[in-house]
Amino acid sequence: MSPTARVLIVDRSRESRDVLSSLLARNGAKVLEARETWRGAQLADAERPDLIVVDVEEQTGVCEDSAARLIAAAARNDAPIVVLGAFKRSASPLPTTEFVAKPYQYPALIRRIEELLGSRS
Amino acid sequence: MASLFVIQGRDQGSRFQLEDAVHSIGRTHTHSVRLHDTEVSRNHAELIRKGNAYAVRDLGSSNGTFVNGKLVTEHELTSGDQVQVGRSLLLYTGFIDDRMEDAAGQVDIVPMVGGSIDDGSRIVASLGQTGGSEWLMPDARGSSNPWLARARSNLQIMYRTALAVSHTMDIDQLLARIMDMIFDWVEADRGCIMLKDLETGKLTPKVRRHRRGVRTEEKISISKTILDYVVEQNEGVLTSNARDDSRWDPAQSIVTLGVREAICVPMQGRYEVVGVIYIDTAVTPQKMLAAKGANQFTEEHLRLMIAIAHQAALAVEDTSYYKALVQAERLAAVGQTIASLSHHIKNILQGVRGGSYLIELGLGDHDTMAKSGERDEAAEQKAVDTIRKGWAIVERNQERISTLVMDMLTFSKEREPEPRAANLNEVTSEVVELMASRAQELSVELVWRPAGDMPSLMFDPEALHRAILNVVTNAIDACDEAEHGRVTVSTRYDDDQKLAQILVEDNGAGIAPDDIEAVFTVFVSRKGGRGTGLGLPVTRKILEEHGGQVRVESTVGQGSTFILELPATPAEAEGNQRMTQSFAAGDLQ
Repeated sequence: MSPTARVLIVDRSRESRDVLSSLLARNGAKVLEARETWRGAQLADAERPDLIVVDVEEQTGVCEDSAARLIAAAARNDAPIVVLGAFKRSASPLPTTEFVAKPYQYPALIRRIEELLGSRS
Repeated sequence: MASLFVIQGRDQGSRFQLEDAVHSIGRTHTHSVRLHDTEVSRNHAELIRKGNAYAVRDLGSSNGTFVNGKLVTEHELTSGDQVQVGRSLLLYTGFIDDRMEDAAGQVDIVPMVGGSIDDGSRIVASLGQTGGSEWLMPDARGSSNPWLARARSNLQIMYRTALAVSHTMDIDQLLARIMDMIFDWVEADRGCIMLKDLETGKLTPKVRRHRRGVRTEEKISISKTILDYVVEQNEGVLTSNARDDSRWDPAQSIVTLGVREAICVPMQGRYEVVGVIYIDTAVTPQKMLAAKGANQFTEEHLRLMIAIAHQAALAVEDTSYYKALVQAERLAAVGQTIASLSHHIKNILQGVRGGSYLIELGLGDHDTMAKSGERDEAAEQKAVDTIRKGWAIVERNQERISTLVMDMLTFSKEREPEPRAANLNEVTSEVVELMASRAQELSVELVWRPAGDMPSLMFDPEALHRAILNVVTNAIDACDEAEHGRVTVSTRYDDDQKLAQILVEDNGAGIAPDDIEAVFTVFVSRKGGRGTGLGLPVTRKILEEHGGQVRVESTVGQGSTFILELPATPAEAEGNQRMTQSFAAGDLQ
């Protein structure tokens, strides 16, 4: 993983954000965190991350406007979006580069994130 | 909205809502009405909306489309129609008629002034419910007209049949009642009701009766010839000395069984024959002489039996549909419960995986350092921090699964609280202490204000502990994103109203008025992956079991206050009362 890689994590669970950001930080990435999609979209606009990880809750879903803004911000920076979800890929509200179904294994997720970041550099 | 409800077949219990211009029925996933039935064609039929109704059109299917048992190419459906495709039977329910909805606006209820309403109407006669059915009873004064007496008696039978079949949802009980009534009215020796199996079409005896004095150990043998005729022709038959009847082949079973007089009628429902009712009587030579050769069973009996069987069939159909509906709803509820629980467990599992992976990494780092033999205090500390972080996450998720299990248990069983003298301040204080670390972790200030005058009360302290814990946990979670999160837990005691209260106030996001009731709905969580959707329903259940309630006051953007109200039974008063009672009891001896 490039030491300068910046990853945005959008997840309502502080715990999941904690785990993922610890793991990514260990590999040298700069991690940005947001709880809500709208806040994620703001950060994505301002910080232009290299990759975005979004957790989409089955029950709460994502706000369509925020999702559209997040997608637009990702597209501007050509940043891949990794969606973590409890549903099937076909039901994902976001056009995803990568879809990871819950419950996932962290080593595999980190490896995939690294690959995606690697293919960008 | 119109719908198709599968009442028979592999998809039994599924409901398809109909609202589009066209809905297709078929076996593949491209159809909005998809049936997992091998007898259904890939593209079997379609439903075309025509105004406020749907018409079904067969699309050249191999096995055809049937409406109420009749093969159709196109047929406009009305509510209650049964559509059969392959082995699946679907019940159609149409749109609610707008005219019915408007009825409320078309009728005015006006007050009566001075014994009459505006148009001058007044009550000139009135009759109670019992009085209304009295005219059906045999005339005490005796009727000079035998025709009228008979008609009245028959009408009374039908009236009582209608009453009997409308009071039960248990088919066996229903059939037993029908049989009892038939024996009251018809002089039959033996009788039985058989129902048709929906899948195989085979008749199975459900109820059997013997007149008192008739040998009960003797099996009722019913001629298959008669049964087949009744079901296939959908006609009731009266058989008396079968050899005289040209319709029966003398070689057939009816002769060998020697049935002298029998009535066998189809139970014709709305759509098909659901079973048969059979009664018979053995006419002895003595009886024949007494009756001067007249038959014991007459055509009038046959007509009456057909009418009774029709009523019974309608009730059997209704009960079957009701059962299918209840079963479908039950399955849907079980499905929802399982889906919801799997979701929560999956989230917990994800947390455990995250925590253990951090521990694994920390241990790995530690091992690498130990192997290299170099001492790097900062790196060592980092490894320990990673392990600690991971462990905290594992512990938290362990707690979550334990809470989930406890909440599930509390919610699932009907239990009486086990009240004993306890102090509400102490119970609440324990919860506050328990939640202090969690609050600190989320940088939420947790304030505890116990009531100064809280007496010892009678309640179930374990149950109340759980109820308060769920509310405090929610309040802390609600403050997660607040700038300066603050949760205030306080207790109050109102001696006049004999009411104890636990107030849990947060300055979190608040709840919109429309969502307040939803927070008490089981498996509905506003906390995303963290919530199980059981916490508040459990709290409400516990408080209600104590005769209390949970109230919520909330303003979006400002926060919420949950008020747990417990009717107070002071522990001393309870003790005094017991003593008084035992004293009084002793006094009497």
